[in-house]
Parts: sequence; structure tokens; C-alpha cells
Amino acid sequence: MRLWVRFSATALLALAATVPAHAGPIIDWDPAYFYAAGATPYNSPFGTQLYIVGTVSAFGPPLGFLNANDPTKDYTFYLYGLGSLGTSTTPIPTLGNAYLTTYDSGLIELYEGTPRDAAFDPNPPNANVPSTFTNGTLLLSGTITNFYTQTNDFSTYMTGNAEGSITWTGGSLFPIVSPGGHPCPSLFTGGLTWEPSALIEGYLFRHDGKIDLDCPTPARTGTWGRIKAIYR
Amino acid sequence: MRFLAKTLLVTTGLACLGMVPAARAQQLLFDYVGFDYEDPVLVPGTFGGIGNGYVGLGEVPVLASPLVSDQSTYEYTYVLTGLTATSRIVGGSFVVISYTGPGTLTVYEDSRSTGTPFDYGSNPPNPTAPSSFNDGTAILVGAITDFRYVLNTATGSGSYDATFEVVGGTQYGNIPADERNGWTFAGATGNTSSIPPGYAHQVDGQTLLRLPTPVHVGSWGELKRKYR
Repeated sequence: MRLWVRFSATALLALAATVPAHAGPIIDWDPAYFYAAGATPYNSPFGTQLYIVGTVSAFGPPLGFLNANDPTKDYTFYLYGLGSLGTSTTPIPTLGNAYLTTYDSGLIELYEGTPRDAAFDPNPPNANVPSTFTNGTLLLSGTITNFYTQTNDFSTYMTGNAEGSITWTGGSLFPIVSPGGHPCPSLFTGGLTWEPSALIEGYLFRHDGKIDLDCPTPARTGTWGRIKAIYR
Repeated sequence: MRFLAKTLLVTTGLACLGMVPAARAQQLLFDYVGFDYEDPVLVPGTFGGIGNGYVGLGEVPVLASPLVSDQSTYEYTYVLTGLTATSRIVGGSFVVISYTGPGTLTVYEDSRSTGTPFDYGSNPPNPTAPSSFNDGTAILVGAITDFRYVLNTATGSGSYDATFEVVGGTQYGNIPADERNGWTFAGATGNTSSIPPGYAHQVDGQTLLRLPTPVHVGSWGELKRKYR
């Protein structure tokens, strides 16, 4: 019985130490566009390089002091270095196929630029893409790992999703996403579509997504005596 | 021969007058971020179990023209409800869930100074969810059909899409009658630790309207000249 109580208490403490309070996304965008020469929504051959450019539409805490609607600035991001590890196909009975493409690790950069000049010109790379998304001050930079896209050939509006894990490593706002010098894990996530009428010529996907900052709740080591004292 | 030429001309003309499917531009109507859960739950422990109801709720950080918004004065929230899982197909690690409705996707406007701030709480439905999301003024009501969710249980993420039609709300009149049809889609993930207890996924989506294809009024003479 005593052992069971001790086990339960340990489990509860472990949970309390790792589950953060709910927080909204730190960065929300609409839109971002993906491009990758040689790829289709259903297949990205091994080695194909994926690039993503996007404009931020809203910031949340701890970046809530930034105003994405400031007419004198644009907030943009750029992902690169994502090499395809290939696409796997999964048959879905009676419907068609689902496709999962995984990628090697890449890099992400967030910029604040003046003037508001980001332009999703067709057929990237070109004179404005990615250059108008990488000008200005580098606010955040990091590596992105475990990145993947999921698509299929049966959804009515040609929709899927993309996701990857971010580790922040630099930029002028790095301390804000790294309390105590420890970068918080972040998640790049959201839905994508390749519906032709929603795309710009030369791009692979339109993406509606965000980044969450998953800072763990601070934990403190203690003795059983101290814990027992709390509950007495 | 002349009859044949005339027939061909008329056929070609009709085709040019809009019989050929044309690409239609898309216009962002609103962008939303939130979480989803099931209610009622007929099949516990199985997301999309047959008979389970789907509910999505959250905030709407971006509303685009012709909707009128003021994010500094008002809080905008959405509630997606009225959907019941009727089909669940498994292929490998993928699960495809189809829902019947009709569902509704409603956007609410609530005063930041006198209204109730939204609060997800835990284990919805609860005393604050959905009640702190569906209070205020319903500025836009959309009918949702063909709602389908694709999830990969191996990656813990997926997406959904559905047909959307504006059917009500105080800003219904802002949207021209021939621009009320569109669609909505979202990415969904269970991989962020910011999901409140009792919710299934974090959702980030947007709703787009299909703009009408531009038409050009012309005479038969003009049309005939083009093909001579």
C-alpha cells in the first residue's frame, strides 16, 4: 500500500513537472508557401530541397509585443536546408492513397524588415523570393528536425499538413524564448493545400500554420520529507 | 456545310460562355486557431468512433474583408459543431473519418471590456467551454458539409477540410450573394504540450471563399469575329 502511494505520488509529481499551462501560438501566419524543384504534392524524390517562405500575421506571448500589422514593417520567415528523405505511400481502402514525406534537418529564420516588401512572386527562386523574406533584422534562428508533410489523393480540397520540431539557437530575441538560457522546444505545425486556385504558380503548397513554444513548467528537486510536509 | 459551320460556331460559343470549368480565385475570409474535442462520446478512447460528435473552438486572430473587425476592442472566437462521425476507414497508420451534419462554423464577436474572455478550461464541455466561446454576437454563420478528417496515428497529426457556405450572422450582408460559397481546412496536431487536458488536438485553420469567375458580355458578332 505504502509502495503504491509512493508510486502514485511520484507519477503525479512527474506529470506536474512536465505539463505546461495552455498558451497560444507565439507566431501565427497566413500564408506561407512551399517550393521544391522536382517535387509534386504526392512525391518528393530523395534529396529534393524544400524551401518555405511566409509572412507573420500575429504574435502571441512572449512575442506579443511585436505588431505584425505595423504598416512600416514586415515579419517574415524562411526555412531551408530541408532535404527530402523520400515519400512513402499508404493505401487507404476505397479512397486512394496517403503520402508521408520526411526531411533531413533544416534551418529556420525569423526577420523583421523595413519596408513591408515581402512578395510571393511566381516561380521561385527569383528576384524577390527568398530575398524579401530574409532582409532586415534576424529576430530568431534555429534548427528544425523531424519535419514532414502529409498529403493524400482523395481530400475534396487537396489538403494535408506539415510539422517539425524547432530548437532555437540565435537571433536578437533568443533570450526571450530561452528562459534561464535553456531554449524552449517549439513546434512548427499547420495545414496545407495544393488546391490549384489557392496556389501561386511555381509553388508546391500553401500553408496556414503557427509555432508553439512548449516551455516545460519549472521543476524543483526535493526530498520525500519536504513533500510529506506539504501534504500533512 | 453552312449548317455544320453554324452548329460548330454555336457549340464553340456556348463552351466559351462558361461551360468550360475555369479556375476560380480564392479569398481568405478568416483564420482560426484552437483545439478540438468529442461530444458526445459514444465510443470512448477512439477519436472518430462512429457516433462520436466533433467540436472545435478557439480564437479568430484574422478576419479579412468584406468582414469588418476590430481586434483591439473585440475578441473573436469560433465554434465548429453539429458534426457526427459516420465512417472511419483505417489504412496503415492513417485514419480517415467522415462526418455528417450539417455542421455550423460560427464566428462570435465579444467585447474585450464588458464581455467574457474565452477560457478553454479542462475536459470540455465544462463551465467555460464552449460557453465563453459562443457568447457575444454571431457575426458569421457558415454551414459545414463534407467534413472529413485525416489523421496519422504514427505522427500524431493530420488535417481536415469541408465545404463552407455563409448562411447567417450579423455580417451576412457584407458578403455578396455570389461569393458565399467556399471551403475550410486546418492542420491538427496532438504533439504540442499546450493542449489543455481533455482536448484532442490543437487546430490551425482558415476559411476561404470562391470568387466568381469574371464574365464579359459580348455580342454574337464579336464572338464570330474571334473565330473567323
